[in-house]
Amino acid sequence: MTPLAALLSIMFFPAGITLILSGMLYEWADRKLVARFQNRIGPRWFQPLADTIKLLTKEEIKPQGLKSLLFYGLPIVALTGALTAALYAPILGFSPIYSFPGDLIVTLYMLSLMTMCIGLAGWNGSSRFSLIGATRSFTQLFAYEAPFLLALLGPAMAANSWVIKDVSAYAEGHYWMILTQPVGFVIALIGLMGKLELPPFDAPEAETEIVAGALTEYSGRGLALFHIGKSVELVVAVSLVTAFYLGGIGNPLLFLIKTLVIVLLMALLQAMLTRLRIDQTVGLWWRYGALLALLQILILILLKGWLA
Amino acid sequence: MNFPQNYVSQLMEKITTWARINSPWAIHFNSGSCNGCDIEILATLTPRYDIERFGIKLRGSPRHADVLICTGPVTRQARERLLRTYEQMPEPKFVVVVGSCGISGGVFQGCYNVVGHINEVLPVDAFIPGCPPRPEAIIDGIVKLLAHIQRGTRPALVIKPGVQEAA
Repeated sequence: MTPLAALLSIMFFPAGITLILSGMLYEWADRKLVARFQNRIGPRWFQPLADTIKLLTKEEIKPQGLKSLLFYGLPIVALTGALTAALYAPILGFSPIYSFPGDLIVTLYMLSLMTMCIGLAGWNGSSRFSLIGATRSFTQLFAYEAPFLLALLGPAMAANSWVIKDVSAYAEGHYWMILTQPVGFVIALIGLMGKLELPPFDAPEAETEIVAGALTEYSGRGLALFHIGKSVELVVAVSLVTAFYLGGIGNPLLFLIKTLVIVLLMALLQAMLTRLRIDQTVGLWWRYGALLALLQILILILLKGWLA
Repeated sequence: MNFPQNYVSQLMEKITTWARINSPWAIHFNSGSCNGCDIEILATLTPRYDIERFGIKLRGSPRHADVLICTGPVTRQARERLLRTYEQMPEPKFVVVVGSCGISGGVFQGCYNVVGHINEVLPVDAFIPGCPPRPEAIIDGIVKLLAHIQRGTRPALVIKPGVQEAA
C-alpha cells in the first residue's frame, strides 16, 4: 500500500471519518429501535451528529484538584484506541486495512482501552459519583472481558488462526458459526452489550443512582470524544461478531444487513431487561458466561483432536 | 479580502446554532416547589409525549446539560444549591422556569423562608406559566426558547420587579 493510499484509508475510507459517521448512524439505529420498542417515535436520524457537534462547541470545565494531563489526555487515548481497533476489523463489510499474526488479541485489547480510560477518568475525579462509577466500570470490565474473549476465541480456534482476516475467510467458507457454536454467539452478543455499557449492564453509568458514573465531571469536548469513541466501538465490535459468527465478510450489503440484525437484537434486549446490580453482573458472567464459554472451547478441542 | 474568512465563520456559526437547537439536554432542579410541576415535567418525559424526537434528553449531571428547568420559588436553603447547579453548567446555558411559583413566588410569596421567584437569583430565558402547566405547555415553552436561540435573541423578561413584598 502506498503511503497516500494508506493515509486516505486511515483518514477517510473505510476508517476515519466514514467510520465515525457510520458509528453515529448505528447509534441512531439503536436509539430509534429502543424508542420504537417503547412505543415512542424516537430521535431523528441526525440526532447523534447534532449531539456531538453541540458538545464539541460547548465550554469545557476542568474541576479543581484534577490532574490536567489525565483529564485532557484520557478522552483522546480512548478515541485513539477505538479508531486503532477499527484498522484490524472488517468494518462495513470491507476487508481489514492491516493484519498481522495475532491481531485478534490486539483488537480486543484496543477495545478494552476505552473502558480503562473511562475508569481512569472517573478515578481521577474528585466527585464521589465518578469514583463509584469508575469502580463499577473496572468491576464490570473484569466480569465480561474474559467470557467475551473466550467467545471470540471459539471461531479463531476452529479456523486455526489468530488473524481476523483468516477467521472471517474461514467463516465465509463453512457453515455459519452461529449454528456450530450457538453458546459462543450468545455470550459474544451479551458481552458486546456489557462492553458498551448498554442496559441491562449500565450500572457504571446508572443515572438514577450515581448521576452519570465516571463521566459525571466531563463536559464539552471530553464528553464528546468519549461519545464518539463509544459509537466507533459499537461499529467495530458488531462487525467482529458478525464476521465471526454470521458467515464472514462476503457481500458488503449483506454484511450491513447482518450487523443491523445484531443491533436489532441488542435493542430488543435493552428494551426488555432492567438494570442488573453490579454483583449480579459479575455473578452472571463468572457463574454462567465464563463456564459455558470454557465448556464450548473444551468441546471444540476434543472434537478437533477426535477428527484429526 | 476577509470575505472568505467571514463566510467560513458564518457557516460555523450556523452549524453550531443548528446543533444547539437540535440537541438541548436538560437538567431538572426543584428549589422549593410543591412537586406539582415536577410531576408534569416527568409526564413530559414519558413515551406519550416523547421529547426525544426533538433531541431533548434529561441528564443527571449539570456538566452535561444545556437547559436548567427550574420549578418552584427559591427557598433560603435551596438558593445556594440552585446557584451552584447553575454555575456547574458549561456555557452556553439556558434557564427555563416552569410554573407560577417560579415566575412570581405564587402562593409562597412573602413566606418567611422564601427568597422569591427564580429571576431574583438566576437570569431566566423562558417562563412557562400554569399551576401546574400541562406537558404540551412545557414542550411549547421549550420550542419557543429554541426559536429564540435560532434567531440569536433572548426572550424579553416580563417579570416586574417588586412583585414580592420585602421579607
